[in-house]
Amino acid sequence: MKLKFGYASLLAAALLLGGCGKDSKPPAPKVTAAAASPAETMPSLSVLATSDLRDAQPLEEMVKKATGVTLKFTFGGTMESTEQVLTGKTTADAAWFANAKYLLSDPQGQARVKLQEKIMLSPIVVGVSESEVARLGPAWADPSKVTWKTVAEAAKAGKLKYALSNPATSNQGYMALVGVVAASTQKAEALTAADIDRKAVADFLRGYKLVGDNSTYLAEKFIEQQGIYVNAFINYESWLLSMNQSGKLKEPLKLFYPREGIATADYPFMLLSDAKRVEYQKVVDYLKGDEAQTWLARATLRRPVNPNAASAVTFPTATLIELPFSPDRGLADGLIDAYLNEFRKPIASTFVLDVSGSMNGGNRRADLISALHSVAGADVSLTGRLARLSSRERIWMLPFSDETGTPTYFELPPATTETNVQKKAEILEQVREYASGLTMKGGTALYDAILDALIQMSAAQAKDRNYQYSVIAFTDGENTKGRNLTQFKEAYAALPEDARAIPVFTVAFGEASDVALKEISKLSGGRSFDARKTPLPAVFKEIRAYQ
Amino acid sequence: MNRTVKTLITVVLLALLGGSVFWALKSTQTEQLANGQSPSLSLPGLRATQTVELSGVIALDVEPFFKDVRVTKWLGDNGFKLNVTRIGSRDMAQRVAASGGPDFMFPSGIVAANQILDAAKRANQTATQYTVFFTPMVIASWQPIAEIFQTNGLAKPLQPGVYAVDLAKLVALMQAKTRWKDLKGSQAYEVNKSVLVSTTDVRKSNSGAMYLALATYALNGNELPTDRATAEKVAKIATDLFKRQGYQENYVNGNFDDYISIGIGKTPLAFIYENQMMAFALSKSLPKDMAILYPQPTIANKVVYVAMNERSKRLGELLSTNSEMQNIGVEYGFRIADSAAFAQKAQGAKLNVDERLSNLIDPPSFETMSTMIDVVTREMAQ
Repeated sequence: MKLKFGYASLLAAALLLGGCGKDSKPPAPKVTAAAASPAETMPSLSVLATSDLRDAQPLEEMVKKATGVTLKFTFGGTMESTEQVLTGKTTADAAWFANAKYLLSDPQGQARVKLQEKIMLSPIVVGVSESEVARLGPAWADPSKVTWKTVAEAAKAGKLKYALSNPATSNQGYMALVGVVAASTQKAEALTAADIDRKAVADFLRGYKLVGDNSTYLAEKFIEQQGIYVNAFINYESWLLSMNQSGKLKEPLKLFYPREGIATADYPFMLLSDAKRVEYQKVVDYLKGDEAQTWLARATLRRPVNPNAASAVTFPTATLIELPFSPDRGLADGLIDAYLNEFRKPIASTFVLDVSGSMNGGNRRADLISALHSVAGADVSLTGRLARLSSRERIWMLPFSDETGTPTYFELPPATTETNVQKKAEILEQVREYASGLTMKGGTALYDAILDALIQMSAAQAKDRNYQYSVIAFTDGENTKGRNLTQFKEAYAALPEDARAIPVFTVAFGEASDVALKEISKLSGGRSFDARKTPLPAVFKEIRAYQ
Repeated sequence: MNRTVKTLITVVLLALLGGSVFWALKSTQTEQLANGQSPSLSLPGLRATQTVELSGVIALDVEPFFKDVRVTKWLGDNGFKLNVTRIGSRDMAQRVAASGGPDFMFPSGIVAANQILDAAKRANQTATQYTVFFTPMVIASWQPIAEIFQTNGLAKPLQPGVYAVDLAKLVALMQAKTRWKDLKGSQAYEVNKSVLVSTTDVRKSNSGAMYLALATYALNGNELPTDRATAEKVAKIATDLFKRQGYQENYVNGNFDDYISIGIGKTPLAFIYENQMMAFALSKSLPKDMAILYPQPTIANKVVYVAMNERSKRLGELLSTNSEMQNIGVEYGFRIADSAAFAQKAQGAKLNVDERLSNLIDPPSFETMSTMIDVVTREMAQ
């Protein structure tokens, strides 16, 4: 996707250059005119959008039809997309985020954004399975009185078990934490890092049962687990209303709008490329016009900003008191770091490492090692800290080739004392040394290794349930030894339920079979990634968000 | 040079208005006449013989005016071909260039216009200001909020939906970190949040700077700070009124957009240009329950065209004097010297406004304003 994108803009640049050449090369006007005309007659606008906007993708067609501008979306998480714009890494002409305040409170971010217009609104709310509301306690009887504090208390008491996008990568997750902190401190204005109430955050996170990076994944899991492991979903109003409408839920969700704790996504559409002002303006005018606003309200259940579209859908009309957004980077860093290193259920995972001979081909060995180095290293970027091994984490390195090798165990201490911080650095160093020492030879007994890892993880889980367990398999090739896929599936089906609840993430490089890897990850509730398309550090960031 | 022309404009205006007091220009006018330079007159309204191509950077507020077909036609008739780009007002000063910069700049207000002038001076360029329109700074609010203010002795009604709010009392209340729920009779907005006027980012926007000017006036005992030490002192105190808001929108319409689309839950009090409200009322229906608060005193923001060279002066002269252009400006929410024209438009849009604006102050001098913005910028970074 990204490669194509880059290529397209190079092409566009080449066309523009062709156009510029018109003056300097008078003898060949016909050729240059022909080269320049596609750019003139086919105006386009590439847009980096946050992943919750996938449901707005039909706008590509609508915009094209109404304005002639070819709109092309690419999607990413809020934090990741923010970073791409901040660093200028994105080649997109425009950006469309649920919330751009992270970006726009940074002077560098302000400089990247040439123009901006808010397109629609959706507040972050708490949806609770209707039949479960009564069981949450008397505090929930009057919806207008429910605050983030009420939510945190129900979570602490083990009554509220919710799905939420990762607070370290998503706007919904992060703003929920901010809401909890604001409600507990009762502060009358924007929060700062000093306001973080660790106990309130810890209470709230006791109820965080369904973790994921994107709303589509969470919705699928929620539909499976509603009434069994989870009874609430914290997300945008639009998303929860859409789920209620979908008819796929076991029962509808009742929406609670936390009193004085509303964070509304306002979807600013931002111009990044000065050269695209004309296209941008056309698209924005259309998006804010009656047709698009009415469609957005009806199809995506977001609140329109154009009053003429207000009657398209009836939204709850109670006054929603907004939380002031804090531009304090210290607050964001503090909350996210605290979440990753202190509050979240710590991660325990087995890295199943393909050390077969074929890994010597291409740059595969070097790629794998450098990925492990970056995970155990110090990527200080906004999203880098997410990929990094965090405090309290447990890792088993399990190499395999002809057969499964011996696991090597690492455990990172909690970052509570100076000594521990020092110790954490030492262990990260050991992980990097381990990775550097990997040697590759022999065949690929992939399925056997994954099975062994699952059995071992489930044994670890039986001993300590306070961890989030998963298996991550890195491989470059077809399975050439041990069980085949059919035999693997049989053996997998025979595993105890606990072992089957552990997700397997697969990362393919080299000529690995996508189909088989996808099947395994799907079977186990994990995800498959392709390191040939996405750089390994980025893959790690994504995997972490599901853990 | 620029003073000469400004003086000229004033003279022309006074002539056109039959000597009626165009008070928005009054203070500068006196100062400039005292300057004693004699203007050289070029008559506006004469049809041009050849087309003048001008490039300009313009603020969001004046963009619809330039897009108006009557304006584009009139420009053509008068021999102008414009190539305008919309950018933030306070980014304009950075575009001042010894050569190759825009021919004119049209920011949303006087602070930005003065920054452009200052940047031009530093670059040894001549820039000339023309006040084309003006608009008072107001607080967009809501009926329940205005009533709470009235109960607490901060506001009094002028007309239905229009209130005068005591600036000094409001600033004192905010400084004291009063919460909404602590106010008498606040049942309709019993909220834990502090009473704060939301503004756009003072570091980035003209309207944010206007708010700083008003707040410091109140904090300085209803007097404009004139010396550097006082300016630094009051600006430091005023920083709190920005910082405590948390994130502030940094484009001109951000604050008003929140007011219109999210409403009372996010912006009980939004500091805006009156023209934003008026322009909205002229094209769409205003939210029910809205109210406009006119701070006592407030500032009339001048919407200033800045000619960056000789070629672009004539357009400034024309825009600020041609009655057709002036009247079209009213259709985009601006006030002009002819106050009856504005009042009539407002009535047509079913928007009650304070026509008379009896309590106005001038913004502080450019130097004082710069000092204060610098102080707030520095303090905000901490």
